[in-house]
Amino acid sequence: MKVSFNELQAVSRKAFMGIGFSEGHAEDAADMVTWMESYDLHGLDALNKGLEHLIADNPATLPTIVYQDGDVAVVNGQDLSVLRSCNLALELAFAKGRARGLSVIKIQRCRQRQLIMGYLARLAGRGMNVTAFWRNAQQPLTEQVVGFRANSTAPSIRVYSVEEVPEENEPNNGITIIMANHVDLLPTMRSDFRYDLLAKHEEADLLAAREHAMTNGIEVDDGVWEQLNKLAKATLVESFDASHLGAGPAD
Amino acid sequence: MIDLASPAALATPVTRAPGLVMDLERLGSFNATRLSFARTLIRVMGRQRWQISCDLFDLNTHGHGEVIYRVQTPNGRYHVVIFSQPLDDALRSDRVIADAWDITFGLVEGDVEEALMQSLAENIPLQEAGRQHPRLLVISRANKSVRNFETVVTDLATGVQPSLESFTEGGYLYRTTAVYGNGKFGIADYGRLRTNPDFRHPFSAQMTAVYVLRQFSIDQVEFLARSRAPETAIALAQPLKRYVGIGNSTGLGMAPFLINHPQLIDQWVHAREQALAIAKSQPPDELARDRLLILGRRAQQFFKETTVEDADQQGRNQMVVAELEGIIDWLEQIPLDLDLWQQLTDWAEAALSLESQELINGLLIELYPQYVDFLEDAMAVEERMELTPDMPLVQLKQLIETHFDWALAEDFDTPEASHWFWYRSIEKEEPRLGVRGIDPGAEKELSLAVAPRVKRTYGKISEYLEQNPRSLTVEFLMAEPSFVDIVRRIQTMAATAYGEIRANLWHRDMRPIHLLRTKLSFLGANRFDPRGDRWVRVTFFQGAPLIEELNNEPADLTAFDDWSFPLAPTSLEQQETYESLL
Repeated sequence: MKVSFNELQAVSRKAFMGIGFSEGHAEDAADMVTWMESYDLHGLDALNKGLEHLIADNPATLPTIVYQDGDVAVVNGQDLSVLRSCNLALELAFAKGRARGLSVIKIQRCRQRQLIMGYLARLAGRGMNVTAFWRNAQQPLTEQVVGFRANSTAPSIRVYSVEEVPEENEPNNGITIIMANHVDLLPTMRSDFRYDLLAKHEEADLLAAREHAMTNGIEVDDGVWEQLNKLAKATLVESFDASHLGAGPAD
Repeated sequence: MIDLASPAALATPVTRAPGLVMDLERLGSFNATRLSFARTLIRVMGRQRWQISCDLFDLNTHGHGEVIYRVQTPNGRYHVVIFSQPLDDALRSDRVIADAWDITFGLVEGDVEEALMQSLAENIPLQEAGRQHPRLLVISRANKSVRNFETVVTDLATGVQPSLESFTEGGYLYRTTAVYGNGKFGIADYGRLRTNPDFRHPFSAQMTAVYVLRQFSIDQVEFLARSRAPETAIALAQPLKRYVGIGNSTGLGMAPFLINHPQLIDQWVHAREQALAIAKSQPPDELARDRLLILGRRAQQFFKETTVEDADQQGRNQMVVAELEGIIDWLEQIPLDLDLWQQLTDWAEAALSLESQELINGLLIELYPQYVDFLEDAMAVEERMELTPDMPLVQLKQLIETHFDWALAEDFDTPEASHWFWYRSIEKEEPRLGVRGIDPGAEKELSLAVAPRVKRTYGKISEYLEQNPRSLTVEFLMAEPSFVDIVRRIQTMAATAYGEIRANLWHRDMRPIHLLRTKLSFLGANRFDPRGDRWVRVTFFQGAPLIEELNNEPADLTAFDDWSFPLAPTSLEQQETYESLL
């Protein structure tokens, strides 16, 4: 079925609140999912794959700062979805980037890493050059690099598999983000190692996808839409006699 | 910002203090001004020579069927598609939870091909329950005014013009109960309209749909009269047509908008305040004084003629009539001092009711279209609340002390200060009010009351600073993540003057009706008729030029734009000028 951008954003926000997100985190998470979906980057698929885990997460569990200095921070994502854990960690990196010109943050142990792009877009919109890097799987080893130019709404994305897997190849469910005030850090493939480019999204293609979504609506899976609406219902209050007083005029 | 090229900029206008303007009761006394969206729309339509015509008028003898109006602008073509259907009298309700209406309609971008028409016919009548097409910019529904509709049809069928009383109470044949835009139920997102030269002003698409509906209401009663008695039926007299507006019934559903869009509200109020400041800084002359006297007498007559059911509002209207008498006397005698307008508003602020104060402000804005109309383009804003994570936390605390002192001053621990809570009902997800401690649902409270949240945030920040005096905002938020949205709001809104409504929305004495009137005044509504504290009936476009006048490409755009405070016609001959009615 087709839904509008605003509709998807509003229902997602309520759904996140329905599963225990605070209002601000629900807004951010909804923005992240909707942003991806509007650029045809399959935000709802990514959400749906980890939804059960997301619902089961303990809302009281918070990401913690393992280490930080002026330029660098390491944050333990507590095995939470980036929808729950990344917004403030990224704001920390943004603060450092603004203060020092360049910052690096590693968020360890996090899930649904694709969805982080939505928040990176927001930081880029605030004038920061942002690049994120993570590894998706061990066999074959794939790497994903996402880069936003400062003030650009759409990223450049590269996903590739690395043929020569290094000896040290422990599972890595972290994500590394570099922010720079003045220098853009777009992913350009210049490695001497052998790799296969699996996916490449250019800014222009993504902007065209966005335009299409805004004109024609966003196609969503009926089942996912139903699930989001069901979760959103948890924010609503059942009707009772006195509640009708606010339901508008009676004739 | 004021256009520095404008002569008005030379007078260094000073806007009013936010603490004065953003008081909820004052906002709830606003009337429409020339910067309200209905007024702006009619000006734009006239200036750009929009043409509106009827493409399809397929009604049966009961007035049921389909009607399509074409709206042609210099930039594009749109259609208002209307479905009129039978409705059992027992089902006719203004309640948001209603699911059947006399008519449903939508504004479509582009042409209406057969396949699209079929989709519209299947979904628009369902409103919220339908899956609407992305080329729809607006959907809405309306019910007949039980009081007026049948009377007007019967009178016209028998060859008699309806009595004025049919229009002085309410002033409409149809009343809308919701006008949806911005992506609701699958329709187009506002983001698409932002770059559309026809609908870039806020709510201009919604206002266009309502304006065309007014024409439909006239066309339909005339059609029904002709169908009933082709031998005797007459058309509605032109002055009465102009006196027909469109009613609207609005409840609590509108309230969250004012709180959830503070940057937009800031833009609207700021534009109004800039316009007022510019007007007040102009040196008065005889022409301007005469014009103000004419407008004052017209407004006075409007309020004399307005009958509303709400006794409190009726009293406020009568107070306006009495106070305007004094103002008019004073204006007729006072010398033309350079600061005359400032004297007038100072006097009003010291001695007159809020209704009269804000009415005078609106009339002053009306005097100087050449200096204030550029502000109609300053009503839209890209809303974006962002965090400043590197702000020292102590600076955030100071921001709260400086810009949210009104929130810190309230004691939220008393029963009366925390009486209400806002929640969203399972019935059509409408916002409602519950009594804390009595009604169920407080655990699902909507965070619309900004003041208590700011005060709680302030307390948490103060505690955190005791242990971490040199910390940054982001470090506080890593420890207290649930405050991220309110901190973002505080940081963003501290840079604005008029975004935050300075009221405790939990307080027992808070009147939600003020929130509704604030927004409705910017939309361009008049005849505010509150029904209790939670909903209000208003009228749009009463007195506005008719589509036939628009299609005639008016030569005098100033006269075309001069339709505020519409008066009952005293003659059924061709439209008089307003001045001749006084």
